[in-house]
Amino acid sequence: MSLMLICDDLMNVNWIQILLNSAVTGSLYLIGAVGLTVTYGLSGFPNFAHAEFLTLGAFIGFWIAEDIGAPLPVAFIVAFLITGIISVLCYRFIFQPLAKKGASTIHLMVASIALGFIIRYSIGAVWSWTPMYFSIKWPSYIVGSVRIAGQWSLLIVVALVLAFSMHLILIKTRIGKAIRASSSNPDLALASGINVGRIILITWFAGAGLAAVAGIFRAVNTQIWPLTGWDIILPIFAVVVLGGIGNYYGAIAAAFIIGLAENVGVVFLTSIGLSTEYRMAIAFIIIVITLIVKPQGLAMLFRRG
Amino acid sequence: MNIAVYILDIIIYIGIFSIVAISLNLEYGFTGLGNFGKVAFFLIGAYTYAILSQAGVPFYLCLICGGIIAAIGGLIISLPALRLREDYLAIVTLTVGEILRLIVKTESSIGGGVWGISVKRAISISFPAGFSAINKTVINAGVQIVLIFGILALCFIVLQLLTRSPYGRIMRALRDNELATESLGKSRAKYKAQVFMLGSAIAGIAGGLFAQYIRFIDPYMFMPIVTFTVWIMSLVGGPANFTGALLGATLVQIFDRGTNILKDYITLPIDPVNLQYILFGVLIILVLFFRPQGLLRESKFTTRPLKLVYEKRRSDTSNKKS
Repeated sequence: MSLMLICDDLMNVNWIQILLNSAVTGSLYLIGAVGLTVTYGLSGFPNFAHAEFLTLGAFIGFWIAEDIGAPLPVAFIVAFLITGIISVLCYRFIFQPLAKKGASTIHLMVASIALGFIIRYSIGAVWSWTPMYFSIKWPSYIVGSVRIAGQWSLLIVVALVLAFSMHLILIKTRIGKAIRASSSNPDLALASGINVGRIILITWFAGAGLAAVAGIFRAVNTQIWPLTGWDIILPIFAVVVLGGIGNYYGAIAAAFIIGLAENVGVVFLTSIGLSTEYRMAIAFIIIVITLIVKPQGLAMLFRRG
Repeated sequence: MNIAVYILDIIIYIGIFSIVAISLNLEYGFTGLGNFGKVAFFLIGAYTYAILSQAGVPFYLCLICGGIIAAIGGLIISLPALRLREDYLAIVTLTVGEILRLIVKTESSIGGGVWGISVKRAISISFPAGFSAINKTVINAGVQIVLIFGILALCFIVLQLLTRSPYGRIMRALRDNELATESLGKSRAKYKAQVFMLGSAIAGIAGGLFAQYIRFIDPYMFMPIVTFTVWIMSLVGGPANFTGALLGATLVQIFDRGTNILKDYITLPIDPVNLQYILFGVLIILVLFFRPQGLLRESKFTTRPLKLVYEKRRSDTSNKKS
């Protein structure tokens, strides 16, 4: 395909729609990744089972909304709570004792992968591996040349509320201060009378709960099966690495950068004749470039986090 | 299915996965590199073998090329992460496995995409007329066993010698204390990259052996569960002990097949495949809790100078006693 044709293709793309899609993707990645980056920063290892928290939340939400027939907000709240509690139990009974026994980072990562397999295949055993779909029909709005699906606007609103309230919590409240203190210097935080263990439990609870919310959104947008969370593990880790591990503000920026990179990248991929399946490769490239150029990620832009 | 054929099949699988497990032992057990993308190098080896053998290249060259390309892949993949903490390497290797599977799935020109690609056996024997099918299968399996276990023995001996050499001492030093090793003038990135290349090459060769044995590969054979299975083998058997890797591979394969056979005799309320992976997960967490050094510990071995020191010490103490 000649360059002229490619340029022609790109001219015909609805860029406003692309921007909107990027915001939607970025919002999803933000809600999904924020728990991972905070627990990673506090506990010192990446929890690979985080993807399974998305899946678990999606299935609990599906069960509440479709099988029991409760309204969707109830599904979100119940999924948030149950997934959060399961995550706390996992931390309390697997990772914390292992860390106390002096397990290395690699051991903790292996344990998290093992936990991921346990959750994933338990879900497969309970709900089967056939993909399912939410039956909720969302209204769709056309504004000018842009199409907005109802679930997208909800997703963006949730992400914005989350970003803003997290900011307020981190800056204004005692718990927020304690979280920031524990992640920047756990020993000093402990010496200043902060219960670091409890702070870690709180972040595992809230992080997994938010992952569950992201999982429901992902399932509403696409399909629900035991790999719902694993399907987007690459962009989620890209958000964590690009944003700087444990850095909340970095994660916000990174989520929207990756959302944009993916959606713009897909346009370029199709215009040069490559499969759109490669959108996940964009996240991978971002991880690799970040590690080569600036392993701290965007964290250096946000001193405060 | 004939029981003898079935057992031979298990033995061949044990051989192939032993090779992957000892390569993980080299990386993780001896050098402290957490490679969570073992399946990526296995995949590179398998597809290289498949493509080259279709082009008519003899099997030993296919295997060697698979190893070399996997080694180059290992170098490229590990370079961004080797200077950093071990969790970065874990993230990069884990994601690269996903990306490579995505590529072979999408690009149907590489290996048939989702439809897979058929592979020729390394050594095919032309039987004279009158051979029963079962005898043919058994003899073919025997040839495979000789080939695979020959390569396994070769890798085993080479790695055993390597880890007992001064080079192996640097590997273990890097695992135990990176900073101290670097302060003695050993570049950690260089040694880690070399070990990573060697481990990837061995995994690539195992991938080639796997492809030629099962004679058909598709992207769905290279799911992350393969990496995880190899980790179980290594951790159960003993990460810093090559005999342990063989033991681990044997135990995990037998457990794997055992549950497959059991499902024909016992009806369970849940799907046995799911149950098996749940059990794998539980097993690994139990091992990490109660025996993180694996069944077989790292063996103490003595180099010649050390032996002299020990002998002198022994004679000194016996002199003192008398």
